[in-house]
Amino acid sequence: MALTTSAVGSYPKPDYLVQARNAYSRGKMTRQELWELEKKATALWIRLQEEVGLDVLVHGEMERGDMVAYFAELMPQSMKIGGLVRSYGNRYYHKPIIVDKLRWPGPMTVEMWQYAQSLTSRPVKGMLTGPYTMVEWSFDEYYPSRREAVMDMARVLREEVKALVEAGCRYIQIDEPAIHTRPEEDFDLAVEAFQLVVKDIDAIFHTHICYGEVEKIYPHMLRLPVRQIHLALKNTNFEYLKLLQQHPWDPEKELGAGVVDVHVRRVEEPEEVAQGIRQVLKYVPPERVWVLPDCGLKTRTIEEAQAKLKAMVDGVRLVKRELGLL
Amino acid sequence: MLTTVVGHYPKIPNRPRPARLRLAIARYERGEISAQELARVQDEVTIEVIQEQVEAGVDVITDGQIRWEDDQTYIARRLTGFAIDGLVRYLDTNTYFRQPVVVGEVRWQGPILVDDYRFAVQHSSRPVKAVITGPYTLALLSKDQHYGHRARLVTALAQALAQEAKALEEAGAPIIQLSEPMILWHPEDWDLFAQAVATVVEGLKCETALYTWFGSVEALYPRLLTLPVTTIGIDLISKPINWQVIGQYPFPADKKLAAGIVDGRNTRMETVEELVAAIRHLARICPPQRLYLNPSCGLEYLPREVAQAKLRRLVEGAKAAQQALEVG
Repeated sequence: MALTTSAVGSYPKPDYLVQARNAYSRGKMTRQELWELEKKATALWIRLQEEVGLDVLVHGEMERGDMVAYFAELMPQSMKIGGLVRSYGNRYYHKPIIVDKLRWPGPMTVEMWQYAQSLTSRPVKGMLTGPYTMVEWSFDEYYPSRREAVMDMARVLREEVKALVEAGCRYIQIDEPAIHTRPEEDFDLAVEAFQLVVKDIDAIFHTHICYGEVEKIYPHMLRLPVRQIHLALKNTNFEYLKLLQQHPWDPEKELGAGVVDVHVRRVEEPEEVAQGIRQVLKYVPPERVWVLPDCGLKTRTIEEAQAKLKAMVDGVRLVKRELGLL
Repeated sequence: MLTTVVGHYPKIPNRPRPARLRLAIARYERGEISAQELARVQDEVTIEVIQEQVEAGVDVITDGQIRWEDDQTYIARRLTGFAIDGLVRYLDTNTYFRQPVVVGEVRWQGPILVDDYRFAVQHSSRPVKAVITGPYTLALLSKDQHYGHRARLVTALAQALAQEAKALEEAGAPIIQLSEPMILWHPEDWDLFAQAVATVVEGLKCETALYTWFGSVEALYPRLLTLPVTTIGIDLISKPINWQVIGQYPFPADKKLAAGIVDGRNTRMETVEELVAAIRHLARICPPQRLYLNPSCGLEYLPREVAQAKLRRLVEGAKAAQQALEVG
């Protein structure tokens, strides 16, 4: 299928869920009560994505806050949540700490994936955070080297991937937004760890490289053992396509093209989306292009996120019509 | 043998202590409190972090750079010629800063850090070190849209920061530190860098220090030791090879070595034994009376409580090493 539409991962949480998460963290709500609301919000997003007409859905990450801390909290034997650390400006996050050998604690994402998939006949992607990012965004009080920590994290995630596949999941997205932190030193390690996660497993793997710094790791990133790499193109005005001019995209890989900016409130026009897609098609043929937002939409309001997805799908229709695909 | 810190200190504590500065900034951004009210909270938090450093037993402290958003913009915003752009990653950390953009001639237009220095001194029972982001690092981490030539920008910044250094000295700063991590990745710029450092420290009579972090000093050693500053700061944690490098050359008798021996980027607590071993090793390279011991970098990469615990441990390690060295 040409120009498949999908999304990157997270969606905004409804107010009732934000309040419930606060209540839960203050001990004023049970895990079961929170879980019911997480399911309710997930059902909302599955319905909204179907209404908009996405081809491959995400579950929306209603049960997750931070993409590293979520997993860290589910591995209490191996990791704990540390104190607040500033990332920039007035933004702080609880940085997890690796305190013991990393071991798979049993399925961490399967139940929610199964629930989301049970609501729709369209495929729902499984969503994981990659081994390099999991380690890079944590303190490490256990392992003597980053390498050992990353490889053990890869073993943990491999078990999770197997569990998702066993549950019937076909598309699995493994995000590595930290991969360009120190590329000269660590890129090989990140690729090797990724390889360990996915090797010989019968599923379709995608990865999302967060916006910025793509020039640092292109074309090396094409070595990642995935079917699809997703790039945030819109936020940088499709500048990264120049990199594809210098070094062509891997003919074996799909390009996940981010065509709507998740960091601005303004909703793109369908024609603007179509223009973006046309630029992408100069470098990669439509059957190997997927169309997505730049990143997770969780920082937008529900209405903005929905409108951006709608503009995206309408933009894709414009291009498909031109190509005689509709 | 003195203990010190490299620069910043975590701005907010963890529960149950309230994150007052975070709240104050959020309220200021929403227009709920005035700039003066925010400044008052910044002053109070500065006093708190000065006390935490003093309580930990650190000999030479900083003001914790509580008012700084990052190492670059606090200086750049107060010089002429700079605009402030979008977020970029700071070296190989998971922290980001708004990138300064050079849009016009860079000039010093009055003291940037002097009031902060004076405030800190009033509230500290220990000597306070003034810390300036060096001209080379500030140039490299900015986007130049005006000079079109790295050397011209670095030189202009060096001249501007020389005036700041002079103002700090006049205000009584006993030690002025230049933070210059970026030179580690650009050894080819050595001559430009050395000239810029010389420009900033020229005529100063106070003690001066040049600190680096995160990178290997291999390509710059032993040239680094020829800079016209009192103290050379080297991170021995991020790149363990730096141990070998500094061990290969005699340390000059007219210089002090500031050794980053406590990891400022990981919560794992060094043991006193590890620190004693490290300090014994250092004492073979540079006599203890010319040694500063400090974390590998600023402490904002750690939660506040861990940062203070690390400083306590550093002081403990220094004391234990002092005794061990006296015994022989």
